[in-house]
Amino acid sequence: MKDSLMDVVCCPLDKADLELDADERNETEVLSGTLTCTECGETYPIEDGIPNLLPPDMRDEAAA
Amino acid sequence: MTDLAERRGLDDTVVYQPAEDSGLLAEAAIAEAGGRVLEVGTGSGWVAAQIADERGLEVVGSDLNPHAARQAGERSVEAVVADLLSPFRADAFDTICFNPPYLPTDPDNEWDDWMEHALSGGETGRELIEPFLADVGRVLAPAGVVLLLVSSLTGYDEVLALVDNAGFDHEVVDEESFPFETLTVLALRR
Repeated sequence: MKDSLMDVVCCPLDKADLELDADERNETEVLSGTLTCTECGETYPIEDGIPNLLPPDMRDEAAA
Repeated sequence: MTDLAERRGLDDTVVYQPAEDSGLLAEAAIAEAGGRVLEVGTGSGWVAAQIADERGLEVVGSDLNPHAARQAGERSVEAVVADLLSPFRADAFDTICFNPPYLPTDPDNEWDDWMEHALSGGETGRELIEPFLADVGRVLAPAGVVLLLVSSLTGYDEVLALVDNAGFDHEVVDEESFPFETLTVLALRR
């Protein structure tokens, strides 16, 4: 994901701002890291450059 | 076979690939889109990539299916795994496109895999259209446009009633008839 995506995404649960914590980047994108809700503290993973912003219950169901 | 080829082969069987409905939505979106664009349920990312290429706009593609998000990402779409509009900010997009899973499906016949999620609109065919229309006004910028693909199989009049309830006016921007259904792209504005 590009940093500019931060302008349009929010926490799917309470619509609060997210904080980006990048573990790995290339010239244009964040490849892996975490998005954390500044309100409820829920975390959302970024893997292979794609953030997973499903609510936690749906994320767990999709992984199963 | 390499891991990458294996992964691509798998993605193709579990991600909805471009069809007639995709072509119709892309045509309408290329004509109507402006500003910042979101395609909900982007699937393979083909429509989103058409809009980005033809119009030079920034396009975000979201899908419930992580395999779909990955394919969209490979088409240089900014991909997000999401449930409809839930992780997007208020007034974030000027154009929002949606080709919903719309086939009415008997609950006894649901087959519960990624392709079903891409095709089935539940018993009425409107199970995804309803929550989409209920939330899209929040995410759409004040002068923005929603481009919604509607199949006659889903109940055209019923969808128009939902559009009206959500506070939008509608205009038909494209329509095409096939042996078993008529597909219409509606432009929704406040």
